Amino acid sequence: MQIQGQYYYPASSKSEMRIAHLDSNHIKLVDLRDELKFEQAIAQLALSAGLPGLAAELTFSDGGRFVPDDAQFRWPFTTKRHGLAERLEKNKLLILLAVLFTPVLIWLLLYKVVPNIAVYSVDIMPKSMVERMGEQSLYVIEKAALEPTEIADKQQAKLQLHWAQMLDSLRLDADTYRLSIYKSDYLGANAFALPHGRVVVTDELIALLKDKPQALQAIMLHEIGHVQHQHGIRMVAQSASTAIVLAVIFADLEGVAEIVLGSGSVFLQQAFSRDMERQADHFAITQLERLGYSSNDFADAIEALQQSVESAPSETGSSWLKYLSTHPSSQERIEHARNYSSD
Amino acid sequence: MEPTHPPEIHTEQESISKPAPIYSGEIAFSGQTGEFFGIWVVNILLSILTLGIYSAWAKVRTNQYFYGHTRIDGHSFDYLATPIQILIGRILAILLFALYTVITQFVPIVGLFVALGFFFLIPWLINQGLRFNLRMTRHRNVRFAFAGSYGGAFLNFVVFPILSVFTLYLMLPYVLKRIDQYMHENISFGSKQLNVNLKGETYYLVALIVSVVSGVVMVIFGALLGAFGLSFENLINDEQEAVSAAIAIVPVVLFIAYYIMFTAISAIYQAMIRNHIFASSEFTDVASFESVLKPLDYAILLFTNGLAIIFSLGLAYPWAKIRKAKMLADVTTVTLYPQVLTIIDTQEEQNSSFAEEAANVFDIDISLT
Repeated sequence: MQIQGQYYYPASSKSEMRIAHLDSNHIKLVDLRDELKFEQAIAQLALSAGLPGLAAELTFSDGGRFVPDDAQFRWPFTTKRHGLAERLEKNKLLILLAVLFTPVLIWLLLYKVVPNIAVYSVDIMPKSMVERMGEQSLYVIEKAALEPTEIADKQQAKLQLHWAQMLDSLRLDADTYRLSIYKSDYLGANAFALPHGRVVVTDELIALLKDKPQALQAIMLHEIGHVQHQHGIRMVAQSASTAIVLAVIFADLEGVAEIVLGSGSVFLQQAFSRDMERQADHFAITQLERLGYSSNDFADAIEALQQSVESAPSETGSSWLKYLSTHPSSQERIEHARNYSSD
Repeated sequence: MEPTHPPEIHTEQESISKPAPIYSGEIAFSGQTGEFFGIWVVNILLSILTLGIYSAWAKVRTNQYFYGHTRIDGHSFDYLATPIQILIGRILAILLFALYTVITQFVPIVGLFVALGFFFLIPWLINQGLRFNLRMTRHRNVRFAFAGSYGGAFLNFVVFPILSVFTLYLMLPYVLKRIDQYMHENISFGSKQLNVNLKGETYYLVALIVSVVSGVVMVIFGALLGAFGLSFENLINDEQEAVSAAIAIVPVVLFIAYYIMFTAISAIYQAMIRNHIFASSEFTDVASFESVLKPLDYAILLFTNGLAIIFSLGLAYPWAKIRKAKMLADVTTVTLYPQVLTIIDTQEEQNSSFAEEAANVFDIDISLT
């Protein structure tokens, strides 16, 4: 077997045309006048990774190299394992299947595998560490958007008592689930939960639902639902891994395409967060029934929120839109709660 | 040079000081969209199935494909990094990032010191990244090298950029020139160092052109939006619903304006600076370069590439990447001189991709144009 190609001298820019003669375990390089220039056992040389459209290069033990002129030529001593990546990359059926199934796999990775791994690692983390991280986040939010509550001490005590009674009758851990009340112009009537179990409700929300204590409880249960399902941790893991996956797939994306694909991932994230809201709603509804209340209370709470959006002047309305965009449509949530009660 | 000398003597003198070239021609790029599409898709598939581990192999294969298909006078470039080097670098970088996150979470004060320390780490990271990438690049069996010092990187990437803030960015073109000068004059091909002589005037001229173009684009879109706004007022009297639909269009128009301006500016800057760097750099008696990238052609390429990637939901990425590499190769001419055949590779083995990977994780991407 004879193969024509370029021979590069070791650690030098000098190169010459050579012809390789191959027998069962040796390779010989001869020049154009058939004079023997170099000889080596096949076992001693290194073969370059095969790439589509590129020649299979040989590197000899002294650093010299031989590059066949024919880019399609593959050496007979190429092992099956060595050429595997190239065979996969040239397999039309595999490429087609990959194009079809990669989006599904990415979805599975980002929305199932990674969040579950994150939840598992938080589970094995010491509780004090989770606690500390949660309080640290609260501190940051406090600085940014919260002010001390203006609700009278007496009413606060009443709310805390209701909270404790609710936890007790649902057999939820009172050390984990703690209620904090803050005033917030920025968040308006709102509630949120931190991964370590602290639930924050705003003065504005309490005022809005002052005639509907069960509705307020429904919202609190919704927030506890987020903690129970570890939504905060899933969300963080999911958004961090999305950034990494995008970076791996589109290694060097030019500015604007990056922004657009990035915002595509924001839409996916909102869908992910709406799923979480449904899960938390479901938790709230089932727990309300356990407490002996009706799931209609939950529907009432959402209705009250919805009405305050509609009646609010446009400026406060915009901050409401922010809250609602990550939640399922109010109508859908109200209907789900009402239907649940009739089941 | 005396003005009385006839011009013929001038050219004769030049040809004596410079040996006759042995080759002059465009860089050839032979990558094919179809081939690279297969590599890219399989890379993504295997990276997902291995939870990211294969991404190191993916990076190496992608670089090997692009380097291998780029040829000067029939001789290709080679990418030498091994997947294991990249993988170790990535793991280390992720561990460092995780450590940084945990520290800032638990002890914010220490986090502040870490951030300050990171500031002093940047020059080292930049140097290591450039060094690794160049050492992993080979042409005609000779590797490239980068010899920048910590002090040089600190001065150009930290001190001067900070100073430029205090001059209301008037110094910025000069700082960018210094950075490009630093990144290129420390490159060597085997034992031969790259000779670079960038000019501040060019950077100021490019900055001026870029600001004029962005000003013009902004005025045009401002006028368009103004005209739009006037027609709004008519609508408000007619129909309420049409108004909200029209208002929804405004962000879209603004986004398109931003897209056009962003693409135009980056194309003009990159094209003109690339041409300048290539014209001002040479491996004396080994190789000289010329780049004639037209800003408009390049802007159209970047614009259509972006559109194609967006509207194909990412599937056009391989096509866009191949197309760009082809255009950049086509506009670049390399002239070789006899000494190119006698370059010796003098480097010893030294392998660390850690800094490069760390730089990627912390999002400091320094790329050689």
